[in-house]
Amino acid sequence: MKQAATGSRAAGSRVAAGKGVAFSKSPVLAVRLPDWRSRVVLFVLFAAFALLVGRALWVQVVNNDFLQKQGASRYMRTQELPATRGKIFDRNGVVLASSMPVKSVSAFTEDIKGAPSDKLRELATLLDMPEADLLKKLASDRSYVYLKRQVEMDVVAKIEKLGIEGIDTRKEYKRYYPQGEVMAHMVGFTNVEDVGQEAMELAQQKNLVGQPGSRRVIRDRLGHIVEDVGLAREPHDGKDLHLSVDSKLQYIALNSIKEAVEKFKAKAGAAVVLDVHTGEVLALANWPTYNPNDRSRLTGEQLRNRVITDTFEPGSSLKPFTVALALDKGLIKPSTLIDTTTSGRYFTGGHTIRDTHAHGVIDIGTIIQKSSNIGTTKISEMLTAQEMWEMFTKVGFGQAPRYGFPGAAAGRVRPYKSWRTVAKANMSFGQGISMSLLQLAHAWLIFARDGDVIPLSFQKVTEKPAGQQIISPRTAAQMRTMVESVVGPGGTASLAQVAGYRIGGKTGTAQKVIDGRYSQTHYVGNFVGIAPMSNPRFVIAVMIDDASGPLHTGGSVAAPTFAVLAANALRADNIPPDSTVTDIIIPEHPLEESN
Amino acid sequence: MTGKMNIVLTTLLVGCALSVVNARFQARHLLIDLDRTQQQQRQLDIDWTQLQLDQSTLGKNERIEQIARSELTMAPVTPARTQYLTEGGK
Repeated sequence: MKQAATGSRAAGSRVAAGKGVAFSKSPVLAVRLPDWRSRVVLFVLFAAFALLVGRALWVQVVNNDFLQKQGASRYMRTQELPATRGKIFDRNGVVLASSMPVKSVSAFTEDIKGAPSDKLRELATLLDMPEADLLKKLASDRSYVYLKRQVEMDVVAKIEKLGIEGIDTRKEYKRYYPQGEVMAHMVGFTNVEDVGQEAMELAQQKNLVGQPGSRRVIRDRLGHIVEDVGLAREPHDGKDLHLSVDSKLQYIALNSIKEAVEKFKAKAGAAVVLDVHTGEVLALANWPTYNPNDRSRLTGEQLRNRVITDTFEPGSSLKPFTVALALDKGLIKPSTLIDTTTSGRYFTGGHTIRDTHAHGVIDIGTIIQKSSNIGTTKISEMLTAQEMWEMFTKVGFGQAPRYGFPGAAAGRVRPYKSWRTVAKANMSFGQGISMSLLQLAHAWLIFARDGDVIPLSFQKVTEKPAGQQIISPRTAAQMRTMVESVVGPGGTASLAQVAGYRIGGKTGTAQKVIDGRYSQTHYVGNFVGIAPMSNPRFVIAVMIDDASGPLHTGGSVAAPTFAVLAANALRADNIPPDSTVTDIIIPEHPLEESN
Repeated sequence: MTGKMNIVLTTLLVGCALSVVNARFQARHLLIDLDRTQQQQRQLDIDWTQLQLDQSTLGKNERIEQIARSELTMAPVTPARTQYLTEGGK
């Protein structure tokens, strides 16, 4: 009932309105507003719009840097373009050093705190470190710690699969040395930051290192690059390096030295093989050596590159230079006879020069063959100190070497004005003057070549180097004949003989200088040789340091080492035998191949 | 006259606009392809480096000598059992 009543009342009022007074005539509506009010509203609306437009213009056109930057940060990315360090090859294109991408594994210590212990154990196994060490690293105060550098990619993949929170991996490079210890002293190594530390890696750092670049790109929502905005920096890969070294000869040299050091119970040994025609260093071996791939137990002894950094007094292997100088000046002829006394003693400048055996009156060739100190002293008396000093300096003794190899020693040649008579005599047979094995071998090039010396190179040489004439070709030829006799049955280095080949060389034994005095028990034995004599191809220098067995002289320790090295090197290089091969098919002491 | 002109111009405009869209689309595709190929190139470079390393490791003189001696029971030549054939020799 109530409902019906309200319904009818509502209907009634509507009717009343419909039929009642018109709206326009309503007194309320009849009130006219003043015109200015609508104008004000209109104006305010326009003003508001104008403000908006102005603001829009301001932020988008006039002063748009901020928004541009904000926008860019949402779709622009800087992509790193990696550059690898150059590879190092030997002369035949065998890789000696090469970089591979690896990753460093590190952790955000805060984030990794909640990681389950079994997963951490697995991580420790994968990183190849004791679990306690890993936990110690993670307990560090720092917020970011390196767990291990240079982890190989397949291991990294397994670590990432563990899904431990807070583990971070970053791309880096690791240097691999496939030839290992054989090439260690030639190639050197890089540190964990891929920066060269030793040998050629250090010397050629500037060329080997790559310059990583970057470019600006636009990425879409899925991470695809949709636009290349441009290069910010162009990446440059490091340049490849082609060394002069021959890995086969290097292996032979290292093996010969290693065997010799063991056989003669020596402290160390070194050998260098030079190419006579190009001045290239074909092999440079030191024992002890090290493995550049695993340097955890590296000692200074292993690291030492004796061929280049150690200087020693060469002894008799310097005699040919004195003799060659006198020959070249026309002061003597090969047939000149010199009285080396019958007592084996010669008194000069207040000192006595001794020969181990008395030789009497002998010619120049025999002085070299028998290595007579008195003979060389007498020849040196015909020369002035300045002439000898000039000779030594011209072949590079006492001169800072420019091999492009770090740590190369200059050796020592005192200025000639301070030479006393005995000093000159001593220097004529290689005492009181010091040099590195490489310098000695380098100087010997004047005999192997036609009297000129060419610069040494650790990198592959493509064009013939220009030589500097030191002695006449005729003198060089005469010297070759003499040094060949040294290796003959009557010479001091008969153990240096190589079956099938004509070779020549000179032994040297020097007492080591210990605490400023010549030691009577410690010697450096060396041998410098040319092979083969008919058409010289190699100059090989061998040094055996401090042999503690019964043998210690250059003739007994260095000469046989040279023989093994030269025999294998000549064979490896396919050099045809130049000796009367049919006569020597069964040599007296058959040569044993190294192993 | 102007009406016809407008229609022609509008059609041209729309055509141009569409071809711009198409060109952009193609450019993106090519860029993605380029990117993918560059990645492939990098991977191949890495593979090549790895193979060179392997070759050098496996071709080590030490290894060859050891295999030649122990597995192939080879012995080095000695002049004692070598017949040299020299050109024009005796």
